[in-house]
Formats: sequence, C-alpha cells, structure tokens
Amino acid sequence: MRQILALVAGLVVLAACSAPTPPRSEGEPPSTPAVAVLPAPTGPHPVGTTTLHLTDASRPDPWDPDVDARELKVTLWYPAAQRGGQRAAYMTPKESELLLEGLRVTGVPADTLSRTRTNAVADAPVAGRDLPLVVLSPGFTKPVSTLTSLAEDLASRGYVVAGIDHTYESHATTLSDGRVAGCLACDSDTDPGFGARAVEVRAADVSFVLDRLPSAWEGGGLIDRSRIAMAGQSMGGAAAVAAMLEDDRVRAGIDMDGTTYARIPRSGFSRPFLFLGTPQHVPGGRDNSWERDWRLLTGWKRWIVLAGADHQSFTDGPLLAPALAVEPLPGVLPGARAAELTRTYVAAFLDRHLKSQRRPVLDEPSSRFPEAGFCPGTCGRS
Amino acid sequence: MSVVRAAAAALILLLAAACTAPTPPRSQAGTTAAGTACAGPQGPPEAERATTVDVIEQAYFCILGNYYSGATLDARSLLTAGFLALTQEINRNGREVPEATMPMLTGDREADWTAFETAYRKITDQVPDLRDKLAVVTLEAVVASLGDNHARWIHGDERPIDYYDGDGYGLGLQLNVTRSQVDGSSPRVVPAPLFVTAVEGGAAQAAGVKPGDVIEAVNGSTPFVGGTATAAIAALYPRYPEARPVELRLHRPATGRRWTVPLEPGLYRREWADLQVVRSELLDDDVAYVRMTGFAPDSANRVLRAVTGLRNGRTLSGVVLDLRGNGGGSPAEAIRLLSAFVHGEVTAYQCTVDGACAASRTDDTVELLHLPLVVLVDHGCASACEHFGSAVKALRAGRLVGTRTAGAISGAAQPYLLANNTVLSFPSRHHLGPGREVVDRIGVPPDHHVVPTPQDAAAGRDPALTRALALLNGPR
Repeated sequence: MRQILALVAGLVVLAACSAPTPPRSEGEPPSTPAVAVLPAPTGPHPVGTTTLHLTDASRPDPWDPDVDARELKVTLWYPAAQRGGQRAAYMTPKESELLLEGLRVTGVPADTLSRTRTNAVADAPVAGRDLPLVVLSPGFTKPVSTLTSLAEDLASRGYVVAGIDHTYESHATTLSDGRVAGCLACDSDTDPGFGARAVEVRAADVSFVLDRLPSAWEGGGLIDRSRIAMAGQSMGGAAAVAAMLEDDRVRAGIDMDGTTYARIPRSGFSRPFLFLGTPQHVPGGRDNSWERDWRLLTGWKRWIVLAGADHQSFTDGPLLAPALAVEPLPGVLPGARAAELTRTYVAAFLDRHLKSQRRPVLDEPSSRFPEAGFCPGTCGRS
Repeated sequence: MSVVRAAAAALILLLAAACTAPTPPRSQAGTTAAGTACAGPQGPPEAERATTVDVIEQAYFCILGNYYSGATLDARSLLTAGFLALTQEINRNGREVPEATMPMLTGDREADWTAFETAYRKITDQVPDLRDKLAVVTLEAVVASLGDNHARWIHGDERPIDYYDGDGYGLGLQLNVTRSQVDGSSPRVVPAPLFVTAVEGGAAQAAGVKPGDVIEAVNGSTPFVGGTATAAIAALYPRYPEARPVELRLHRPATGRRWTVPLEPGLYRREWADLQVVRSELLDDDVAYVRMTGFAPDSANRVLRAVTGLRNGRTLSGVVLDLRGNGGGSPAEAIRLLSAFVHGEVTAYQCTVDGACAASRTDDTVELLHLPLVVLVDHGCASACEHFGSAVKALRAGRLVGTRTAGAISGAAQPYLLANNTVLSFPSRHHLGPGREVVDRIGVPPDHHVVPTPQDAAAGRDPALTRALALLNGPR
C-alpha cells in the first residue's frame, strides 16, 4: 500500500517537474519586445517550406474518442529552386499564445513566438531529385516548429524534412478547418505507461505520413523512398525508436535526449541509431533507458553526450529564450552553440547513413567540438 | 501492486520530491540537535551514497524533531530497535562480536545517542565488511519502530535493467489478499479461501491461471491456519530482485481441476487501459462509472471532466466512483473531488500528538454535480482514498459499497533529505475523520458489505458494481 502511496505521491510532484517555469529575468519586460532570429542554415541550398493536413480514416483519434479519424499537420522543409520570397511564419499568433500559456511563460506579448524570424521561403518550388527524407518529431506538448532551426539546416543540406505535429500531444496544433487543437494527452501524461502509449501513437503517425507523403505533396515524387531516417527530441526521440521497430522504411534514427519506451526485441535491432543527449544521459545516470537499449542495438550506433547541454539545447528553445525574457541558466550552452552542435551531429549521422558519406566527427572526440563525449567509453560516470 | 511499480514509484518519489522542493511543515514541538537538522529535498537528486552512523544520527534527530510524536516519544525505543537489528544482522551473517552489548540508556536523548554511537562504532569496527549493510538494517529498524504506515525510509531502490515504464514485477496476478495486508501496512483480514482476483500478465498468464482459481498451497504451505492467513502468502508478492519460482497448488472450482504449477517472478507488461489512473464509461445508459486508481495530480479534475463528458446530452441518474485498489495520493485531490458532492463541511482533521487539530474543509469554489454517488471500496483503498471514503460516509455525500478500507492513513507524510541522498518521510500530524473518528488501522466500513468470491471472479461478475447500480436505479 505504501508503495502505491509513494507512486501517487511521486506523480504529484513529477507533474510539477515536467513543465518547469523557465527562470525569468528580474527586470521589466522590454518596451520594444525582442524578436528571435533563427541562425542561417549552413548548407548550399535555399530552403522552402509548406504544410499539409492529412487525415487517417483507418483509426479513431487515440486521444479524443469522439473523433473517428486521426488528423495530422505535417510541415515540410526542403531544398528550394531559388532564393527570395516570403519567409514562412514560425507559427501562428494563436499557436504562440497557446504555447506560451501551456509553458506558463508570461510577461511578453502573446504573439511573440509567431514573430520569430525564419529562413525558409513559404511554398517555394522544390529542387533536386532522389532526395533523402528525414521525419522530425518534437517533444511532448511542443509543436514541431520548435525544431525549425534543425529542420531548415537539414533542408539546406539537401534533405526533405517532414515534421509532424502529433495532434492533441501539443499545446497548439492548427487543424485543417482552422480549429486549434490543445493537449488532450496532457490529461493522462503522469500515468504509468504513458510514454509507451505515446510512442505507439507516434509510430502509427509516422507510418501513415510515409504512406501518404509521396502522393499528398507535389514534391513527393522527388523523394528517394529507400533513404528515410527519423530524428526527434524528447518524446519525439523515443518515438524514433518506436517508429523504426514498427516500420522498416525508416532506415536510421536519432533520439535527442528522450527517455525511451519502445521495446526492442531481445534478439536485437541492427539499423543505425544515434543517442544524442545531455549529461543527464550518461551511463549510470537517472534514466536507465539508453543503457537498456544500448545493449540491444547490434548495428552501427553512437551515444554522444554534450557537456553543457540541457534538455532544450536540441530545440529552438535557447534561441527563443531572449525574446521570452528568459535568462539562460548558468553553465548551459548558449543557443547559437547548441544549435551548431545539434545541426553538426544530426547532419553527420544522416550524411553517413543516408548519403554514405564519411563523417569522422562521429568516430572520435573532435577538437572543434570538445563538448561531445562518446559514451559509454569517454563521457563520464559509468 | 507489483514490486517494480513500487520500486519505480519510490524512485519517482525521490526524483520528484526533489523537484518541488517544498519546505515541509515542521512541528513546533521538537528542536533538533545542532548540525543534524533535516530539510525537504531541494534541487535535482544526486547519487545515493552508503549509509553511515552519521546518517543514522541525522535520521534519529530528524524523527525526534519533526515526527508526529517526536517531542514526546521515548527515544530509547528507537535506539533499542536499531541495536537489536544490528546484532541480528551480525548473527544472520554467521558472525558474532563479543563487545556487541548495549549500554544502558537514560532517557537523555543526546547522551543516549552518544552512548549508542560509541557502542555502534566499536561493534562495526570489528566487522568492517558488514559495515554498510549494518547501517542499513539499523536505520530501517529505527524507522520501523515508529509503527507508522506512513513512515518510511526510501533507499537503495533498484530496477531491473530491462524495466519499461508501466511494467509490473512479480507473478502477474492479484489476489483477494492485498500486498499491503501481507507487508503489514494494512491490518485487514479476509476469510478463506485465497483466490486469484485478476491476472495481469507474466508467469500467471503464461501458465493459464485464471480469476477465481483458488490457491490451496504456496510452496507446499497452506495459506490459512485456523482461519488466519499465514506468511506463506507473502511469497505471492515477490519484490525485485526476488526471483525464486513460487509453487502454487491451484483448484478451479468450476471444473474441479487441481494442479500444481511453478511461477517465476519477473517483469511483465501491463495494458494501457489498466494503467490509466482515471477511466470512465457510461453504464445502464444513465450512470457515469469512473474508475480512479490513485489521487494523482489533477485526478479530481479528470474525474469531473469525465462525468461532465458522459453527462453531455443526457440526464444521469448518478455516479459510481470505483476506488477499489486506490492507494491514495494527494489529500488536496481527495478534498477537491469531495467538493463536487458536498460543500461547507470539514473533510478531516490533522492533529498533533497533544491533540491540537487543524481542519481540512471542502473547496466550495468547485461546482457541485448534484448527482447521487456510490463509491466502491475495498481493502486496497488506502490513505487519501480513505480520507475521501470516510468523508463521503460521515457527510452522507454518498454510499460506500464493498469491503472495509485498508486503514493505512496515519497522516500525510513529508519528505526529508538525508546526508547520503536518501529520503526519510513521515507525518507530523495524524489524520482523523470529519467526526474526529480514527480511520488509521480501523479503516472505513462500507454501508453495503459485498465480498468478492471465487465464483464471481471466475464468471467475470462484479457484484459490488451490480449493487451500486441497483442503489442508483433500483434492480433491473
């Protein structure tokens, strides 16, 4: 009985932890609100972006039993034919308002995030052929736009990126009819087994998007369907494991700091995988899930931990923080450096496994990126 | 309740307690010795270190300074219990220390500690290889000597490496005798026979065990002697890392079959439907049935949202709230849920050892549902669940159906971080019901006594639910 009490007591406080209010600066909000500017993509190609609304009529919505189909919003980033044109909005003002409310950020205008400056041109024509595809999945409660900096960079390097907003798992998802869906799944996110349920749902979302993308998007014919990978942050990274196990079209995967939930068969799993995390994710750390999975990964694998990274270092979070008047925590990687490291290691992994290019940065510590430690050998506690 | 869930839970508690960093309310009565004060966990948890005599000292003064009866209890009882456990553990390891005699204690808390510590150090120096283990059993015994079902020391919780969130650990079955009855935190008793109430997975499922199967022997021993449950039942709820197979002799009354099967404890996967803390459905076209397995954060609102959803577009005749197996959680959630059924009332009292009581009151900003309520309870309804159940009964907010509650509600526990990053938790006040009745140990008796039987379990019948529906709608 006391165990049950402990469980529930644990749940009580865990919820408080999962959505921490970011530290705020003491001062008044700036009179001219700052606008976040995403760093320029580093690859040779101009970047375009567009959104699709896809409806999976084969299953009821897993989070809203009253809806008999699953609707998903997919954001595509891709190499564009030319530079110039209207840059895409980071998110809508309404999405900004709901996300800030969900994250309990106050003291800045509600539309602040929607004014973030992006680099991708809205609805630009796609360029290239036989393009490799990367599915992106965001952290729980977040829209996939929080991974825009990474997505734009990958597109500039010649990848088509399909970012999925997992409906009802985010504070704000604009549906095809203009309604904005909130986080129904937040209702049960402290229940034991929630993570396993969420990644199961996301794996189904990914398979559905892969089924539909070639025909649903005008650039779909340019995708090389034999070269598909998936990357995600937090729950999105956990979902990458789940999606690979469920769907062998996904050839390689990256988990950025996500505790994993999908069950890898005891016989092992041989497709390439990268764990990229914070120092919380060293062997012997609080979360044992990477250690558990590491033993079951039998193919090419890396487990890289970035000194100074925190959970949001793999997202746009640190880049947006100044505009939200959120002070960086002491000792945490500055946003620009966090973005550089994330882009570098994610792209290196994809270049290696989808483009068969040599990427020595994945093989050993680099003097250019001294933050990166290679686990389990040289990354700290074990 | 599986062991792994328990271990995981403890881990979560550790982790999570650290995040909220509440300063626990301190009792006014005690003053701790300088340098040994304990405080609520702050910041992220750090790696646990070995328990030392200094940690035991901190825990001793932490209890005396903050525990419910810390100001008045005879501190010698704590040290004596610890010393006894120390000597037992030495002997359990096949060893003996000639100097392991206990000095007389005088009742002076600080002088007694000094005498204890001197003896403790001398003894443990003789068996340095046992030092860590001796410290653990000593502190465990000190905490256990409080005899308080909400006093616990959380340490050394380990999970199997192949554990997944939500997994159970054990044989994969539930019985009509709960784990808390076996481990002593609930004093409830049940009449024979011992039988399976649910099969969750694992070895029990693989072996084809079914609800309603009667367990006639556990590892060759009878589960009941002269009508009293024996310790043999404890083997049915193994804790990680216990992994020895348990041999069951089973009888299936429906077929007359008798057989013996060994079940190996292990991790097993549980279904999402079983893991959700709040689940609801419409029964008999007009009854909102809501099952709630714990008073987790936001759970009261989840229940109320579920009822509102089921009420949409129809007239409900009532609510059945299924709290069987609900191990409790946050008293604030219990109060919030109660406040949807009754306003302007005291739901419980929290009392100091000298009888000064603070009242918990309904939150009258919660909208009343204005619906008849029937609550299903059993021996597994503990802590905040009993806060809720006792208040429903005393305030006539609804009727209770099932069996008496666990009686595991000494008082809401506060966590304290010890120097080796383990956590001690215990209440500073004890709980009484709205009429100042004692709920701890005694439990809350149901208004309608409905006892589970092997026949009902085998047939998939739920007579307590049937009774609840009849109370709301009359027999159909």
